[in-house]
Amino acid sequence: MSISLTVNGRKRIVETDADKPLLWVLREDLDMPGTKFGCGAGLCGACTVHLDGDAVRSCQTPIADAAGKAITTIEGVGLNDIGKRVQEAWVALDVPQCDYCQAGQIMSATALLKQNPKPTPEDIDGWMSGNICRCATYMRIRAAIRTAAGLPAEESVA
Amino acid sequence: MRLTRRGMLVGAGVGGALLIAFPLIPRRYPVPLEAGKDEHVVDAFLKVGRVKGGAAGKADCILTVAVPFCEMGQGITTLVAQIVADEAGADWRKVAVEAAPISPAYADPVLSAKWAPLWMPAFASLGADAEGMLARLHAERGPLMITADGTALAAFEAPLREAGAALRAMMAQAAADKWGVGWEECETKDSFVTHGPKRLSFAELLDTAVDYDPPAVPVLRAEPPREKPGQFPEGAPPRHPRLDLPAKVDGSFTFAGDVRLPDMVFAAIAHGPQGASVLSSYDKQAAASVRGLVGVVHARRWLAAVATDWHSADKAVRAMEPRFKADGPIADSEKVLVALDKALTKGEPQRLLAEGDPDALLAKPSLTARYDVEPAFHAPLETASATARLRHGLLELWIATQAPERARRAAARAAGLSRRDVIVYPMHAGGSFDARLDVRIAAEVAAICKVIGKPVQLTWSRWQEALAGIPRTPVSAQLDGALSPDKTRVLGWRARLAVPATAFESGARLLDGWGVTDALDLQDQADPMACEGAMPLYRIPEKAVEQVPLALRQPTARFRGQAHGYTAFFTESFVDELAHAAGKEPLSFRVGMLEGEPRLVACLQGAGRLAQWGGGIEASGQGIACHQMELALGGGRVTKGLIAVVATARSEAGVVRVERLSAYVDIGRIVNIDIARQQIEGGLMFGLAHAVGGASGYAKGRPLAGRLSQLGLPLLADCPKVDIAFADSNEDPFDPGELGMVAVAPAIANALFSATGVRFRRLPLISEGL
Repeated sequence: MSISLTVNGRKRIVETDADKPLLWVLREDLDMPGTKFGCGAGLCGACTVHLDGDAVRSCQTPIADAAGKAITTIEGVGLNDIGKRVQEAWVALDVPQCDYCQAGQIMSATALLKQNPKPTPEDIDGWMSGNICRCATYMRIRAAIRTAAGLPAEESVA
Repeated sequence: MRLTRRGMLVGAGVGGALLIAFPLIPRRYPVPLEAGKDEHVVDAFLKVGRVKGGAAGKADCILTVAVPFCEMGQGITTLVAQIVADEAGADWRKVAVEAAPISPAYADPVLSAKWAPLWMPAFASLGADAEGMLARLHAERGPLMITADGTALAAFEAPLREAGAALRAMMAQAAADKWGVGWEECETKDSFVTHGPKRLSFAELLDTAVDYDPPAVPVLRAEPPREKPGQFPEGAPPRHPRLDLPAKVDGSFTFAGDVRLPDMVFAAIAHGPQGASVLSSYDKQAAASVRGLVGVVHARRWLAAVATDWHSADKAVRAMEPRFKADGPIADSEKVLVALDKALTKGEPQRLLAEGDPDALLAKPSLTARYDVEPAFHAPLETASATARLRHGLLELWIATQAPERARRAAARAAGLSRRDVIVYPMHAGGSFDARLDVRIAAEVAAICKVIGKPVQLTWSRWQEALAGIPRTPVSAQLDGALSPDKTRVLGWRARLAVPATAFESGARLLDGWGVTDALDLQDQADPMACEGAMPLYRIPEKAVEQVPLALRQPTARFRGQAHGYTAFFTESFVDELAHAAGKEPLSFRVGMLEGEPRLVACLQGAGRLAQWGGGIEASGQGIACHQMELALGGGRVTKGLIAVVATARSEAGVVRVERLSAYVDIGRIVNIDIARQQIEGGLMFGLAHAVGGASGYAKGRPLAGRLSQLGLPLLADCPKVDIAFADSNEDPFDPGELGMVAVAPAIANALFSATGVRFRRLPLISEGL
C-alpha cells in the first residue's frame, strides 16, 4: 500500500506492506541508514526515532502506525535546538566508541530533554534504561545529557 | 626546540631500541598505496595531497594515513593518524584516514610471535621473537593482518612515526633549500615549517617537497608521543579529538549494513544448532508467498533467503522452517558441566608452569576452592553483516572484520575465485570484543552473491548472532594454597584449570580456515594460551599452573580479555580467600607478597586511595583485585599493562548492585589519554557485564539466553560511579583495550564477600543466587 510520511520535515511516500517496521522503511525504502538494527525486538534501543516528538522503537512500529505522523531520525535531529545541543554535548564529551547504539542514545536523550529540560540523575537513569551500549559509554552519556541540559556534567555531592 | 639529526637519532635510541631496529629490516614489498589526483605517496602508511578549499580559498595540504586495523570503537584509527601527524608536525584538522589494503607491508610480526604456538606448535619458541626472522616471515607470508591481542602500537608505532618523520624531512628539506639553511635546523608544527622567524606552510611546500627523498635512516623526534596523565585531567578537551567523532553523532557514519549499491538485494540467514549441524530440510514453497522474494540459497550448514528488503528476506527464511540435523557434537550445557567436573576431579593434569613444586606442601592444603565460569557471549550491538558484489570475475566485499585477509580467503573459496580476485573494503565494526574474528559471514555472502547474481547485503538477525556466534570457553578451576604455620605467608599455590585448548581451536578456524566441527578435534590438548595469566605474580616459593585438557565438544572462541578474563578471577578471588583465612587485610596481604613488583604495588595503593579503601573489613562492601598482562615486543623486551580495581558492591534479593568502581591503571606511556580513558571506562563496564551476565548455556545447541535482554548486560542505571587514574609512566605502551575488564569480576566477588560473608565462586556471579 501507499503510505505518506513526514520524515525530518520532508514529505515522503512509500509503497510497502502495512506491517513492515518503520526501521526498515527508513533504512531501505528511504535510504536513511543512520537508524540502526540491533535486536528487532524493541530491547536494545538502537532503532529509536521520534514519532510526533515521542521516542519509539522503530523496529516495533509498523509503518501503518507512522502514516501521517512527523518522524524525526538521527539524520534530522540536529535541526531541532535540543537535538543540536545533545549532539554538541556528545562531541564535547567524546561519547561514542563503536557508535552503533549512539543514534538511538541521542534520540532517546533528546526526547527526554524535550519533556523534562532539567532531569534529575534518577530521571536520566530511568529514561535511558531502554538503550544498551555494549562499549559501555554510559558514564559519558550521563554527563553529556546533563551538559546538554545546562547542568554540571557531574552531579554535585551533597 | 632545536633539532639536530644526531640529537634525534640518540633520542630515538633512548626512546626504545625498537624504533631503530625496525628500519634495519629491508622493505622488500612494494608500497601498496596508490596516489590519487594531486596526491603523493610517502610510504605504506602515508599519502599527502592538495585539497582546495582551505582558508580564503587557498589549497590545503592533507595527510591521508592508511590504517591497517579494524576500528571497533577502540579508537585505533585516531591513534594511528595521531602518531603520524605528531611526528610530521601536521595540523590535526588536516589529517584524514583510509583503510589500508591487504598487503605484507602491514604484516604484524608482534602478533605472529605471540601466536607462534598456533602456527608452529612443535617449535613455538623459535617463532616467538617478534624481531626474529621466523615471526616476520610468517607475518608477511599470510600476510598476517589481524586486529587482536592489543599489538597495534607494539608492532606499528615505529613505522608510523617513520612515515611522519619522512614527510617532515621532505617538507623541511624543501623549505631549507629555499632559505639556504640546514634542513635539520628546521622545525615543523601545525603544518608549517619554521626556521627562526621564517615560515612556510606544507601546502606551499608540497610541490617541491615531493621531489626530495627522506633520509635512508628515518630521523625521529627526540621524544615519542606522550600525553601525561597530570596534564590531561578527566574532562579536559582532548588534544586530538577522535577523527570519527563528528560522523558518529549525526548518523552519517557508515557500517557494513549501511552500504547501498545499485540493484542491491538483502539476505537473511538461518544456521543450525550450535555445534556440528547440517541443513536437512526446509519448505521452499513457504517462502514463495513472501512479497519481494528474490531467491533461496542453501548450503551444507545454512539456509538463506534473498529479497528486495531485509524484512521480507527474514520473513521468508523463517517461513521455510529450516530443519537441521547433527553430524557431530551439539552444544549442550549439561554435558559440558559434567565434562568439566569430570576433568577437574578425575582428569590427568599437565603442568604448564612452575616455580618450585608445591605438591608436597599441598598434600594437605590450608585452603582449597573451586571456581566455575560460564561461556561468555560477545553480544556486539551490531549483528554480523557484509555486502558483496560480483562483477566480471571480481568479488568486492564490504565487511567489518578483524581479519580482512582471512575474510578474503574465505570469500574466495566460497565463490570459487582466486584470492587476488577478491577486494575487501574494511568497514568499522559496531562492537566486536573479538566476535569479528569469525569470518564465516564472508563465505556466506560470497556464496549467496554468486548464486543470486546481484549485489547482496547479508545481515544476521539477533537470534542468529546468539545462535551461531561462538562464545568464550567455559572453564572450571581448583585452587589449592598452603599458608605458613604462623599464617603470615603463602608458601604453596597450585591453580588447576579444566579448560579445552581454546586457543588452538579458534586459531585453527582463523589461521587455517578449519570448520567449526573439525576444530573441535583440537580441544583435547595442553594449551598454555588458554591458561595465560594463571600464574600469580605473588612471591610464593612453590607455585604451579596445571591444565586438564578436555574435549568440551562445544565450540569456543576468543573474547575480550582472553584467558585473563577468567584467570584473574581465579587468582584474585583465591588470594582474597587466603587473606581471609590468614586473618589479614586483603590489600596489605597482597602488597606483602609483591616484593620486586613496584608497578603493581603502585596500582593497588592507587586504587585504594581512589576508593578510600577501608580495609575490606566485614560488611564494608569493598573488594580489591589486581592483575598484570604482558606482551613480548621482540628481542627479549616485554611491555606490561597493570591494573588494580576496588569495587563497592552489595547484593539484594539476588541482584548484584555495584555502586562504585575505582581503577588505577599503568599502561606505560600513553599516546592519547582520552582514548585510553574511554577504553578503561568501557573495559570496566565490560568487566561488570562479565561479572553479572553476558553468559549463556545451551540446550540442544540453542542458547538459553539468546535474547539480548536475557544476557543481563548493564544499562545506564546499573552504571556505578567510576574513578580512574593512570600511572605517570614512560615505559613501553600497553594496549588498554582488554586490561580494563580483567580485574573487575574478582573485585566485585571480593566486595560481595565483604558485604555478605558469602564467597561467589561462579561467573557470572549472580547465577549462584542469594
